[in-house]
Amino acid sequence: MMLQDGSTQLLCLTASSGVPLFTRGASKQLPFSVIGSLNGVHMFGGGQGVVLSGCETEGGGKVVWRVFQDSVMLIAVNGGGQGGVGCSREEEVRLQRLLENVWNCMVLVLGQDELANIRNVERLKRDLRSCFGLIDQMLEERQEGVLGSLTHCADLLLPPNPTLLQEAVDGFAEAADSEFGCLIIHGRIAAATEKWWRLAPQEVVLLSALIRSLSDSASASCDYPVFLPHGSPTVAHRLLRFQLLPGADVCVLCGPSPSLHTAETGLVGRFWAPLVETLRDCLAVGERCVPQAVNLRPDVLALLLINRETRRSVSSVLHPLADAPPPSKARCWELLKLFYIFSTTRYFTQEESVCVSTEESGPRGRANDFARGFSHQPLQCYLVTEECKSYALQTPQHQLFLLFPPSVPTFVLRTAATQTLSDVVAATGL
Amino acid sequence: MSQNPATGSVVVSDWHRCKDGKEYFNKILHRKKRKIFGLLESPVMPPHVAVDTVHYKIFLTGKSGVGKTALAARLTGRNIPNVHYETTGVETTVVFWPVKLRDSGRVLFLRLQLWDCGENALRRFDHLLPSCKEQVDAVLFLFSFTDRTSFDDLPNQISKWTEESAGRLVKLVVGTKFDLFMHCDVAQRDVRDFQETWRLPVLRVGGEVSNGLDDVSPLLNCLAEQLWHHDCVTAGSVGLQQETVTLL
Ligand SMILES: Nc1nc2c(ncn2[C@@H]2O[C@H](COP(=O)(O)OP(=O)(O)O)[C@@H](O)[C@H]2O)c(=O)[nH]1
Ligand SMILES: [Mg+2]
Repeated sequence: MMLQDGSTQLLCLTASSGVPLFTRGASKQLPFSVIGSLNGVHMFGGGQGVVLSGCETEGGGKVVWRVFQDSVMLIAVNGGGQGGVGCSREEEVRLQRLLENVWNCMVLVLGQDELANIRNVERLKRDLRSCFGLIDQMLEERQEGVLGSLTHCADLLLPPNPTLLQEAVDGFAEAADSEFGCLIIHGRIAAATEKWWRLAPQEVVLLSALIRSLSDSASASCDYPVFLPHGSPTVAHRLLRFQLLPGADVCVLCGPSPSLHTAETGLVGRFWAPLVETLRDCLAVGERCVPQAVNLRPDVLALLLINRETRRSVSSVLHPLADAPPPSKARCWELLKLFYIFSTTRYFTQEESVCVSTEESGPRGRANDFARGFSHQPLQCYLVTEECKSYALQTPQHQLFLLFPPSVPTFVLRTAATQTLSDVVAATGL
Repeated sequence: MSQNPATGSVVVSDWHRCKDGKEYFNKILHRKKRKIFGLLESPVMPPHVAVDTVHYKIFLTGKSGVGKTALAARLTGRNIPNVHYETTGVETTVVFWPVKLRDSGRVLFLRLQLWDCGENALRRFDHLLPSCKEQVDAVLFLFSFTDRTSFDDLPNQISKWTEESAGRLVKLVVGTKFDLFMHCDVAQRDVRDFQETWRLPVLRVGGEVSNGLDDVSPLLNCLAEQLWHHDCVTAGSVGLQQETVTLL
């Protein structure tokens, strides 16, 4: 493979004629001839009535294709090898998710019309540059501990004092003539209006990603035109974002009024100044995302809890000791993601899970074949590796994924998982 | 419109280096770096040192890639991104800056809110420009020393704003990427000529962002001076702000 190990390159071409629109990722670009061939082989399949969605190279490299709106083709290429994470099935799922997310980024910034009806390729190429910031963020998956782009569930931070914040978000949104309001702490949702939760899960995740990138730039406030890939792909709304404190952002989605200036000078102080201390308490929860008051078993290394009905999730890597033995914090996040993909592609294969995409030509096939081999729906699964022990369980309402140190006896895992589920759910209402 | 004040005639230049400025500048620093303020925060002085804070809205304009977003980052002490990502909407940045008025010795905190909007976004969405213009106090016209066309377009840009605002606005020109002298496309003589014709201050920025205040103080002091002077002239004409009228 011509890419460096483990690095992912993203190609975007027009679907009809294969004109390259942009490439992102990987320091060493694929030669033009290879890009042409990748497009060609997909087109050849199309001519034969076959949709080519993915393939694997001998060296462990992966290529996935996907056409959106019969207009834009996205191809993701991963070099495989040492740096690559997980085995090839996990990698394919990751890449398919990436393509979907990248498309959503493109719609968010440019709207669907411009992408679905390409009139002027040169102009589109120029406009697409506006999406690179978000797309690169998706490629790099910079922020540790934010799993939404993979799970398509909103990443939550559970605040110690939710009622006050909820009231403030509701009141603030209403005063800004909006039904859609959201408070983001450390890049995760701490409170949101009822309507915000009615947005498509992918949109909630995408908006969180956008707000994170804006928040990283440390700007004080923003007025960003956004298209909602599912709810409003052709009409832009305004995303107003205000940085209340560093790491704490409040946002509303609104129409033509109020102006940024009016909202900022008239509303921000009125609703949020009385809550500075509450916001600081919320910031103090930090990357743990679960308030200290929630007792977690000391032997849990990391957890991801998903509410399957509301599409919300909370995840946390718990490193009680500074000099804790490996795996490191970063590796725990990596392992948690891999174990999530592992479980959801092999065992917990339902509608909403990763392997079944609702749109055309998503990755189906083998994962489902594997699941069909069972006469029943697995409820729990575990995996023991050299690095850690992992345990997942699901109920009609929840999925829980846990990592434990290798020293924990395997027979304890089930009890520990069941107990953690009921403890966290009881304490947080998630 | 009144004559622009001479540099250093209204506020004390290099006040950040003076001993008596220290306690004020410490409030905008945190562990020797610039402190980031959320909208709910501001520098807090002890109760016996009452300082007024004056708010200003400043719009950054200039073609895509000229360095608007980088300037906003620079003025708040953040590193400038080395990849150019288009700004796809309006982003504002808040800079607190203490100044000491030369005549009265009075100290003020300026709260400068910089409004930065990507050129493409301005073109695609009609509502953004009016929002940037709403109650704006100053415009910074940016050109890049590495891009001649951005310099040549300045008169055009400036007259557009002059017609509309009829002298209500403070205007400043900022030349960016001054560090890239190897690729310099705008001669110093051209800048001097421009300055004489238009009678606007031209400031130069470039290079790595340092933690110190030396890099940003000429620009921020110049802006402060223009804004305060402008306010005084306006206030003078309607008989407000007695103490500053004497200053003219
Ligand atoms: N060397 C150098 N590069 C700069 C300077 N200002 C901006 N840049 C670079 O120019 C590019 C565009 O800057 P940006 O601020 O994003 O432009 P904008 O479109 O006007 O917001 C970025 O890659 C910056 O790193 C500067 O003063 N010196
Ligand atoms: Mg910009």
